[in-house]
Amino acid sequence: MIKIEHVYKSFDGGRSFAVQDISFEIRQGETVVLLGKSGCGKTTTLKMINRLIERTKGVIEVDGRDVSRADPVMLRRSIGYVFQGVGLFPHLTVEKNIGTSLSLLGWSKSRQKERVRELLGLVELEPAKYAKRLPGELSGGEQQRVGVARALAGSPKYLLMDEPFGALDAITRDVLQQQLLEIQRKIQVTVVFVTHDIFEALTVASRIAVLNQGHLEQIGTKQEIMNEPQTDFVREIFARPSSQLRHYKSLL
Amino acid sequence: MDQFWKVVVERFGEVVTRTGEHFVLTGLSTLIATSVGIPLGIVAYRTQRLRHVLVAMVNLFQTIPSLAMLAILLVLLGKIGIAPALIALVLYALLPIVRNTVAGLNEISGDVIEAGRGIGMTDGQLLWRVQLPLGLPVIMAGVRTAAVVGVGIATLSAFIGAGGLGQFINRGLATYNTNLVLLGAIPAAMLALLVDGCLSLAEQAAKPTPFTERHKLRYRLKPAFAVLPVVVFVCGMFLGAVGGAKDDARSSSSADVVTIGSKNFTEQLLLGELMAQLIEGHTDLRVERRFNLGGTMICHNALVRGEIDIYSEYTGTALTAILKEPGTTGPEATYDHVARVYKRRYGLIWLEPFGFNNTYTITVRQSQAKKHNWNWISDLVDDAGDLHAGFTSEFMERQDGYPGLKETYGLAFGKISDLESSLMYGALAEGQVDVICGFATDGRIAVYNLLPLEDDKAFFPPYYAAPIIREEVLKKHPEIGSALARIAGRLDDATMQRLNCKVDHDQMDTRSVARAFLGGLQ
Repeated sequence: MIKIEHVYKSFDGGRSFAVQDISFEIRQGETVVLLGKSGCGKTTTLKMINRLIERTKGVIEVDGRDVSRADPVMLRRSIGYVFQGVGLFPHLTVEKNIGTSLSLLGWSKSRQKERVRELLGLVELEPAKYAKRLPGELSGGEQQRVGVARALAGSPKYLLMDEPFGALDAITRDVLQQQLLEIQRKIQVTVVFVTHDIFEALTVASRIAVLNQGHLEQIGTKQEIMNEPQTDFVREIFARPSSQLRHYKSLL
Repeated sequence: MDQFWKVVVERFGEVVTRTGEHFVLTGLSTLIATSVGIPLGIVAYRTQRLRHVLVAMVNLFQTIPSLAMLAILLVLLGKIGIAPALIALVLYALLPIVRNTVAGLNEISGDVIEAGRGIGMTDGQLLWRVQLPLGLPVIMAGVRTAAVVGVGIATLSAFIGAGGLGQFINRGLATYNTNLVLLGAIPAAMLALLVDGCLSLAEQAAKPTPFTERHKLRYRLKPAFAVLPVVVFVCGMFLGAVGGAKDDARSSSSADVVTIGSKNFTEQLLLGELMAQLIEGHTDLRVERRFNLGGTMICHNALVRGEIDIYSEYTGTALTAILKEPGTTGPEATYDHVARVYKRRYGLIWLEPFGFNNTYTITVRQSQAKKHNWNWISDLVDDAGDLHAGFTSEFMERQDGYPGLKETYGLAFGKISDLESSLMYGALAEGQVDVICGFATDGRIAVYNLLPLEDDKAFFPPYYAAPIIREEVLKKHPEIGSALARIAGRLDDATMQRLNCKVDHDQMDTRSVARAFLGGLQ
């Protein structure tokens, strides 16, 4: 379980806060989506979990341990991370990109190789075809699948995903969203997923946390958020899917 | 052209040795600069504040003219040879390497760096696994620039006795011999191209190969590209080592070696060669030749420090340029005086003079002299404002040169250009200048129909040339004294002029001119 308690983040020495007094929990096996417009603090919140950004105030615990007391390098090795850009190493083959996480964990070459095949299978990339390619020779969707495979390499309990499918076309995005759900069903990883796309949130989330200007507006299941919005902001942003839903229904 | 090929064939062995030396000088300096420059670049990349300081510093090195840099290092290190040359080359090579390292690291996208940190790399792992491999092509390009520029600059290090292909170029310039210049310049250019080619292949090899291209020959050979510079470097080192070994063989037991130096003009090279052949012919000693040193002070300091054992100097030069005393009376008095002071102050012994007086002569074209009826230096005073003088840089600065001349005669030339001593005579003959500070024994005075004017106010001190030797060397090997005594007094003005002319005008090499002369003596 990841516990976030009264966390603040200021980038300017306390004059203003990018994240203000956010508290929520991420329970084992669920997918929590941090949803909000750009600049709302969702990516900052995500990066504070593995200390790519240091929080200013408050406590973040992973499995009951305060992350500020953990070695940041070891912490990051134990948590999978999928990046907003593609974030693959352009000079390494697919195989070595995925293997890098494993070699950091001290895996032997032969075990790495075996695990890489397994992971490529998991993200549905044929090892024989893809293992030796450079990232530049893959499509955007393929690159992001390698990114997911790399994040899952060390079988982490937690997977942080920062707008992972943001740069992909709508069709590829749909495919990858479905794939993610399937992977999660297979390996029971706990996911924290950042997006600004309401439909994506509705597709992948167990629970949605809506952020606005550094505040947590509401956290709850899809049904709770849709049916019982607690603030005007939440009501407003979910008005659009509802109206589109009515529109689609009228077409059928 | 035929003559050029003849020179190539004759001196092929020496070309190989010099090329090897040149390669070792450039290769070693690039290697050192790379191993210092890349870490410096990394430090500069990581610390914003240090970056400005470091880049400004390596920029500063680059702006120092190469000859000035060599001169500064000569003073700082207090020795001639490989060390100052190597340091100068390293300092020059730093800029492209440091700058490209910073640029190569800066160029890496922030996403990739964050990805590395995000999957749990330490700073060191990030550097070795991500930043350096990705920056490598740009860093390699910097190394390549440094190496190619280094090949060029290394030609200058011959001025301070560090060897290399510059030695041919200097000797060629000093003796007005185009073939010798080419003998140095062509291999240097080829070396630059070779280094450039090899390192550009290595740069290619530093880039990752796309999967779809991997079957192509060019990419299959890639590992070989990466190894190529190493192979070339090792071969070059080997060449240099062989050359060095040859030199060592000559100087195997250092007790039996005398080192002879010379300044960088024809007469000095000839005197050096004459002394070398006499010692080789009449003693059991081996001779190491360190000719073509950049000037009076370099030779003098090298002798005082024991880097050379013997060179020939002129009494007037010793008096004014080294002892900094005003010109004195007669030739004997001058010789006695400098000999006494040298022995007491430096532990250096003046041996018997060769016989000629190579004084500076204010020299003009005969045709012009006839027209204006010039015979004495005083005759120039009225016309001086319209005349264009071409003087050597040394003459411009020496008290027994232009400053004193101006004072004594009240001469003020309209325009003065600094000219290299071997180029003065031609420039005067062709009318590019009207007056030069010729050397009395230079053969070209006769060949080009030039006229040395009479020094009517006896401004120039006598410049009798004699060998100077370190006292301890002479004590240990008195046979050197008797060997050199064989030409004492045998070279009068006319003889010296004739020998110089054979080199400068007939384009013979100094070794054979010296050999022929000594053969005629016996």
